[in-house]
Amino acid sequence: MFEKIAALIAEQLGLDAAEIKPETRLVEDLKADSLDIVAMVMEMESQFGVEIPDDELANLKTVGDAVAYVEKLKK
Amino acid sequence: MIRIAVDAYGGDNAPLSVVQGAVDAVNEIKDLSVTLFGREEELNGLLADKTYDKERLFIVHAPDEITNHDHPTMAIRRKPDSSMVKALDSVKKGECDGMVTSGSTGAFLAGGIFRVGRIRGIDRPALAPVMPTAKGSPVILVDSGANADCKPEYLPQFALMGTAYMKGVMGISDPRVGLLNIGAEEEKGNELCKNAHPLLKETKGIDFVGNVEARDGLAGDVQVIVCDGFSGNVFLKATEGAAMMIMGMLKQNLLSSLKSKIGALLAKDAFKKVKNSMDSEQYGGAVLLGVNGALIKAHGSSKAKGIASAIAQAYTMVQNDVLSSIRRELEAQEIKEDTPNV
Repeated sequence: MFEKIAALIAEQLGLDAAEIKPETRLVEDLKADSLDIVAMVMEMESQFGVEIPDDELANLKTVGDAVAYVEKLKK
Repeated sequence: MIRIAVDAYGGDNAPLSVVQGAVDAVNEIKDLSVTLFGREEELNGLLADKTYDKERLFIVHAPDEITNHDHPTMAIRRKPDSSMVKALDSVKKGECDGMVTSGSTGAFLAGGIFRVGRIRGIDRPALAPVMPTAKGSPVILVDSGANADCKPEYLPQFALMGTAYMKGVMGISDPRVGLLNIGAEEEKGNELCKNAHPLLKETKGIDFVGNVEARDGLAGDVQVIVCDGFSGNVFLKATEGAAMMIMGMLKQNLLSSLKSKIGALLAKDAFKKVKNSMDSEQYGGAVLLGVNGALIKAHGSSKAKGIASAIAQAYTMVQNDVLSSIRRELEAQEIKEDTPNV
């Protein structure tokens, strides 16, 4: 799951997936803005068949947070 | 072959006028292919009696539809089988080069930004209609409502995108850029205008001529107007309202007596020319600048002519590679910013 989400984020932001670690912060380290985060969440919803409520966006601070949340929804 | 996706649903006259507009565009432009997204059976029925090149007009089944009652972002996320989302996704996947819709503006904006995605380096895409001016040359208004609040640094990006569009699509070699403001002097305006003005002056690759007041916006002296989406929307709607009011008053007075009716008859050709120059159908639609595709929002009330014009607009944008021009201009700015002053 981590590799898939890292690849998705890398594509969204035009980065190398190898630069992305679970502790990488979306805003501070990857310079993602609010539109990037919504776009990533929508791509995750579409790829993994889950629904991520808007209220949850503020809690997704690192790549690891996003992986953990999607994994929780998939269970 | 340039491939344009068309959302067959959403507008007031859809899908009938959309199908006719697509047929007209394909018959008019020889290296254009159009894919209509919508309910296959219904669209096939509407195409049955029409003459067109079947190798260049296709249907992709999309059973669902986004309406103006749907929440824009939610609709884009929760209606993956809608005609608009499927059309947008075809651009994202590279199956089509551009997309036209006359459906919900909010969903179109959200879909363009989140599904198709922004051009790298663009903070906020902007919705930009082209309007007629007193001198005959058109003017593009960037932004007309995608971003109600803007940071000063967005406006140079709007100016670069508007300039690239007017060069590439409208064939204007050196478009002049004006900042919509409440006075001509540099120090006039709100915080946004005062902070954006010096940034626009420093921006390379645009011909920034300073502030433009709303009353001069359509005088024809500038070809690109930049502003925040709130001010742009007020400017656009006030202009439309004033034009409608004047046309209504003219009509009412011209038909009020036999003498004025005869006068109107004699001046019929002149009135027709004015009406044609103000006809939104011939300008196509508003372009969503700053996303990775030629995305056009046709007016909700578009008839076949308006849809065909919007398809031609997307076609020209792709043909003249406006997106690459925008990317090149953005890169040129970044190189200059990174170059240390010596």
